[in-house]
Amino acid sequence: MRSFSAFCLAAALASALPTAARAASVSVPSPSVENAGGTLIVRQADGAASLVGVTLIVRAGLDRQTMKQNGLAALAAETIVRTPVNGVAVEDAIAARGGSVHFTIDPGDVRFYVEALAVDAPAVLDLFRAAIAAPDFSPATIRDARGVLVRQIAQVQQVALQVGIDMLNAASSRQANAGLPELGTPASLAQFFSEDARAFYRAYYRRGGAVVSAAGRLDALTPESLAALAGALPAGMTSPVPVRVPALNGATHEIVAHRDIASPWLIAQYPAPNVDSRDFGPMLVLAAFVRRTLSDIAQVPGVVSPTFASRSVGTVYAYDRAPATLVLYVNGGLIGNPSRAFATALSVVSVLAASRLQGSIEEFKAEAAGDFANDATTLETRTWLAAVFSRGSASPDFINRALAAISSTTPEDVQRVARDYLGNPTIALVLPRGQNLQD
Amino acid sequence: MTARFAAAVAVLALASSWFAVPAAAAIPRQTGTLPRGGSYVLYPDRTVGSAAIGLWFRAPAAGYDDATPGIANLAATAAAVAPLASGKSLYALVHTVGGELNIEVYPDIIGVGAIVPAYASRRIVAAMTAAYFAPSVDDAAVKTARANAAVLGVQQRYESDTTLHDLLFKQIFATGPAHYPPLPTTVSQLTSITTVQVGTFARRAFRAQNAVLTLTGNVDASSVNAVTDGGGSGSMDAPYDSKLTGTPSSTTAAGAVDGVGLAWIGPPIADQKAATALDFVADYLFREETGVVSRVLDRADSDALVVGQFITLHDPGVMVVTIGGSNEKQTEKSVLEALSALQRPMDAKTFAAAREAFLYHVATDTQTPQQRADNLGWYSAEGALDYAPGIAEGSYEQSARALDPQYVADVVRRYLHSPVVVDLVATTPQKEPSR
Repeated sequence: MRSFSAFCLAAALASALPTAARAASVSVPSPSVENAGGTLIVRQADGAASLVGVTLIVRAGLDRQTMKQNGLAALAAETIVRTPVNGVAVEDAIAARGGSVHFTIDPGDVRFYVEALAVDAPAVLDLFRAAIAAPDFSPATIRDARGVLVRQIAQVQQVALQVGIDMLNAASSRQANAGLPELGTPASLAQFFSEDARAFYRAYYRRGGAVVSAAGRLDALTPESLAALAGALPAGMTSPVPVRVPALNGATHEIVAHRDIASPWLIAQYPAPNVDSRDFGPMLVLAAFVRRTLSDIAQVPGVVSPTFASRSVGTVYAYDRAPATLVLYVNGGLIGNPSRAFATALSVVSVLAASRLQGSIEEFKAEAAGDFANDATTLETRTWLAAVFSRGSASPDFINRALAAISSTTPEDVQRVARDYLGNPTIALVLPRGQNLQD
Repeated sequence: MTARFAAAVAVLALASSWFAVPAAAAIPRQTGTLPRGGSYVLYPDRTVGSAAIGLWFRAPAAGYDDATPGIANLAATAAAVAPLASGKSLYALVHTVGGELNIEVYPDIIGVGAIVPAYASRRIVAAMTAAYFAPSVDDAAVKTARANAAVLGVQQRYESDTTLHDLLFKQIFATGPAHYPPLPTTVSQLTSITTVQVGTFARRAFRAQNAVLTLTGNVDASSVNAVTDGGGSGSMDAPYDSKLTGTPSSTTAAGAVDGVGLAWIGPPIADQKAATALDFVADYLFREETGVVSRVLDRADSDALVVGQFITLHDPGVMVVTIGGSNEKQTEKSVLEALSALQRPMDAKTFAAAREAFLYHVATDTQTPQQRADNLGWYSAEGALDYAPGIAEGSYEQSARALDPQYVADVVRRYLHSPVVVDLVATTPQKEPSR
């Protein structure tokens, strides 16, 4: 294993040597931002779109729960989308009007995403505003919402990578409640009643600190419609529920879980910088480098199309999460020796921190720029990234800021970031039931 | 070949949930002639950071005499990996600039697409047209293409959806490119195609005159000037249609995974209203999460996976439903019952909601540069660019809005009876890759 790792490391570092693909800039109009009574309104007009997409972010995420309220944030959000409007659950009413709505629970926020055909967008936003202004916390709707969440949890438990990342997030969160499972557990959800969801909503669904980020055919909306969405909530700011846990000691931590999956997954998580950090660009480049290294290990030589093997490894730089993380993963069922591939990747990361990259990093900068630009093309992604980038003091111009950060990255930056962030991974092993580490 | 129906899920699936654009997007598409033959379609969006570039050709996947199944796949891949004048292949160049290259081969058309950061679009237009309009296919490139096809072929055995598509088409079409799988299915097929044959096919299929260049995302018309190769005269080949089997029969086939496939022969693309009606049916019944059948399976905690789409080929189109997972036969019964119910007109309120949802699904599935480029390329090659869903001022939305419950019921009765059925039976215990 040692010699193979050394070979792969040499190959990976050598691959950084040549090439001359320079990450350049593109001309993309910057989103506009305004503060409307404590709510940030972000707009990206796109005349080529046929849709309007709106993300509403409210400070009612995981860190507003106590440890005993695991899943309550999700139950409140699901209740909102299952709230009847004119006798039909708003989710279904929006679908019938040519749109969709769904939500995501983040460590500090809940974010709803509403999308609709431009001609239907005003009516669809009206429907959603009616639901979020007056959710139906009746037992029937709560039961309906709980049923939806329990089905979603069961589905998530079949996705080994998500199981592993959830475990790692729980271990790496500075606040224990912010690391709870996004949707809770079937057991925790079973303990909540109408009053619990109503109380959570009343306490945390406030427009202070909210963000409304919209993209697409904004000419279809009236000027005040976006502010009116947050205006459906009462004024006021909220604070997280403080739940501290002592930091784990030691250099490396391992977490093991068993699920009904066919093959083992190996996942490593490191802390990472957020988008306002000077380390953001270098970490994007570093993530591209590590992804390439893993891919080279797993790839079938000479094959140009994506394969099961090439898709079975990768990295996820979650810069939009708080705290941000970098995750490396290997699906043990699709490549020959997953332990060796995983160990090689960890070795590469650790050696990177100690030795300067020789040669050019331009190819990895180009890959990082391409990944960022090519991934930011749906309206949902664009509204979310504009919101993430606008919440600090800087501009919401996510494309140009990210490309500029990548473009100015030097090999010294990459090494510094590797040294500062990639020292002590937390490792998750998600194994098929009936299998243990020695199998 | 995986790519094939994976983009048949990006593209063919285009066939299932094809779209309509609400009125008035202010950025019309532009069309024109390439400097050295062929045509282009430009659909810019300067608010995104990437550009999608595609080249689409009419060509028979099994060769011009239907004697070399898989040759189009080998030729398209070999042209992408062969070194250009710069010494770097198109495939390598796309990756060097941080992009991705996809090669999709269908029975009657070939699509090559790249998604790249906008600043690299002119370089990629130049490289892509050089690679295909003047292909220099050598032994090394064909060797790589063979290896690629071999790996994809093995993968496809574990994808019931793709395998069933090929088997259903084999039953429906007696001769012509659609009778054969676009990927070689045996080692002998793969190795018997020579470099000379691949080169000859590439030079004929990838002529500039036989091409449509699609440009979407953050691009402008000046990118067309980056086209550096091509020549001669002429026009795009006529469509490569396949001959239907007189009375298609159902069958059972051995495979690596279990599954059931159902297929019905549908209208040609020229019958836009009927084709749109079948798109609507596929969306209403089978769309993931929202389809009537999909929701029933979801509520029952079933792990059956149903994929349904109307594949809008030149003539005829084909409605395909594939069922994987478990309880295939029970799920097949549910699918047939749902289709049978649609032989009666839906009530007006349900229909209106379903049609609006359909129009939305079409729009949301064609919002990215790559989706638009694939969409424009597919419909151009099938001879109906104006019917491409999701484009401003096209005829698709008009066709969708012209649907009514009675017409949809009529179309279901006319086309969706007596399906061809293929039962795919695993010969070895299945091991499903974990997600």
